[in-house]
Parts: sequence; C-alpha cells; structure tokens
Amino acid sequence: MKRLVSLLFIGALALLLLYVVSKMPPMGEPTNPTMTHVVPRYLEKSEGEAHARNVVTGVIINYRGFDTLGEVTVIYCALAAVLAVLGREKRGRIRDYVELSGIPSSVIVRTMVALVVPFIVLFSLYVILHGEMSPGGGFQGGAVIGASMIIFTTVFGLHLSSVKVPLKVRAALEGSAVITFFLVGIAGILGGGNFLAYAWPRVSQSLQPALVTWLTVLVEVGIGLGGAMVFVSILFAMVREEGADEPLA
Amino acid sequence: MEPSFGALLNVLLLSLLLVTALLAVSSRDLLASVILFSAYSLLMALMWQRLQAPDLALTEAAVGAGITTVLFLVAIFRTRRREEE
Repeated sequence: MKRLVSLLFIGALALLLLYVVSKMPPMGEPTNPTMTHVVPRYLEKSEGEAHARNVVTGVIINYRGFDTLGEVTVIYCALAAVLAVLGREKRGRIRDYVELSGIPSSVIVRTMVALVVPFIVLFSLYVILHGEMSPGGGFQGGAVIGASMIIFTTVFGLHLSSVKVPLKVRAALEGSAVITFFLVGIAGILGGGNFLAYAWPRVSQSLQPALVTWLTVLVEVGIGLGGAMVFVSILFAMVREEGADEPLA
Repeated sequence: MEPSFGALLNVLLLSLLLVTALLAVSSRDLLASVILFSAYSLLMALMWQRLQAPDLALTEAAVGAGITTVLFLVAIFRTRRREEE
C-alpha cells in the first residue's frame, strides 16, 4: 500500500514536471523572459557601470554585491560550524593518517606533487587577480588553492602542511572575505553613496572607472584568500587524527 | 541532416551525466558513489563549458570534482556504519 502511494505520487510529480517542461520557452530564444529583463542591461551597460571586462564578475561583485556578501558569510558560517563540532588543532602539534601509517608514499608521487603544487598556486593567483577580465574570480581561485592544499596534505601529511599554512595565518585570513567585502561596502557610504556602492560620488568622475575596477579586484582578492583559508581549515579539522595532538617524536 | 560534432558531443556528455548520476545514487558502496559523483562533476564542468559558462565550469571543476569529493571521502573514512548490511 505504502509502495503504491509513493509510486503514484512519483508518477504524478513526473507527469507534472514533464508538462511544465513542455510549456517552457525554447532554449536560447531571444524573446525568453530570462533574456528580456535584466540581461540586456548587464550585457550592454556593465562595461560602463561595473567597469569589469568579465560581465559575470561585474554581476556577482557589483550588481548583486549584496547577494554575494551573504554567500560569503554563509561559507564563513560553514567553517564556524565545522570548527564548533570538530575543534581547532593545537598549534604545531597535529598529525593525520599519512604520518601515522607505516606505508611510505611513492617517490614518483612525492616528486610530482612537490613540482606541481607551486604551479597550481600560481594558477589560482592568476584566476583570482584576473577575475575582473577573464573567467574565474575570488571563489574559484580560492577553491583551487584549497585543492592544492588537499593534494599536498594527502601526500606529505598534515604536519608539514600545517607548517606551510600555519594556524596563525589561517585564523587571520579566514574572515578576510567577509571583512573586505563589508569594509568596501562601508567605504561606499563614506564615499557619499549607498552601502556597497563602488562609484563614490565624492570622487571626481575621471577617477571613478579606475576606482570601481580596483575595488572589484580588492573584493576578489579578499574572497580568494578568505575562501582558500576556509577550505584549508575545514580540511585540516576533518583529517586531524583524534588524540594525535602530542608533539612529534 | 548530418549531425554536427558539437551536437554529438552534447548527446554523449548528457547521456554520460545521466549514467553517472543514476549509478552514484543507486550504488551500495559509498566510496564508489563518491567517485561517481566526482566523475559527474567533471562531466558537468565540461557541459558548463559547452554551454559557454566558463566561470561555472571553473567552479564546478574546483569545488565539485576537487574539494567536495575529498571532504566526502574523509567523512566516509572517519565514520562507521552501525546498521547491519
């Protein structure tokens, strides 16, 4: 009976969804609602208003900055929740299964990772700093830094990666996404505009394009560093071995 | 009409997406599920690029295929099943 009811429910839901899909406007049609409301404004005016050559960055950081500020805060809250449950490590005294296992890792893997990780970090810096003019931005670059630290930790162990990215640095930078974004928002008020206004009325017209671009880059860098440190801290909290907080022999 | 290379690629990517998604959901082995989910994310990153959304492709590749996979793996190794198989 229960099975029959759930089957009927799923069938009805599937039929409803298929019906809605059949009524949807064809993909890519220029008369679609998604193409006629805000998109023309973004595509035609963002070059002169948001001063970001990558329209996506202009939309995310400038037009929908308030939305992104909220998202950045959510990521920071995720870290706070993970740390509340798993706890922070004691400084310089952490190990994980890589150190605790007796199996030595392959020389080829160690050499390759040691060679590749610096280039991954370099690429992530490129993604963060070029977010204004090419695909990518703070969040993507930060995620790439996080991924590079994941590779490093799985091969060389938590102790060495916590030496490379010490607790002091992480604790200082974790909030940088929220803090930078919020301070830029406050600076918009001080500059004579609204919260999160990038074009400050008190600054002369000729300087405003450069101001908007550099504020966008500043926010991107804040999100990149903050996001990267949040990812790394969550990883460290999760892979830390229980009861391994003793000094290394 | 001769189907174009792009259309064929779309069909291939979308069908692989469906297969990996279904296998990831139906697999009994959590490890296999996570790896399939990672493959799904990589294919999705390619699909975002096909849909001309390189920003999303970068995010999907770094977060979906990289970070969430590892966090899921760590979470699996750190937890134990209590229920009987």
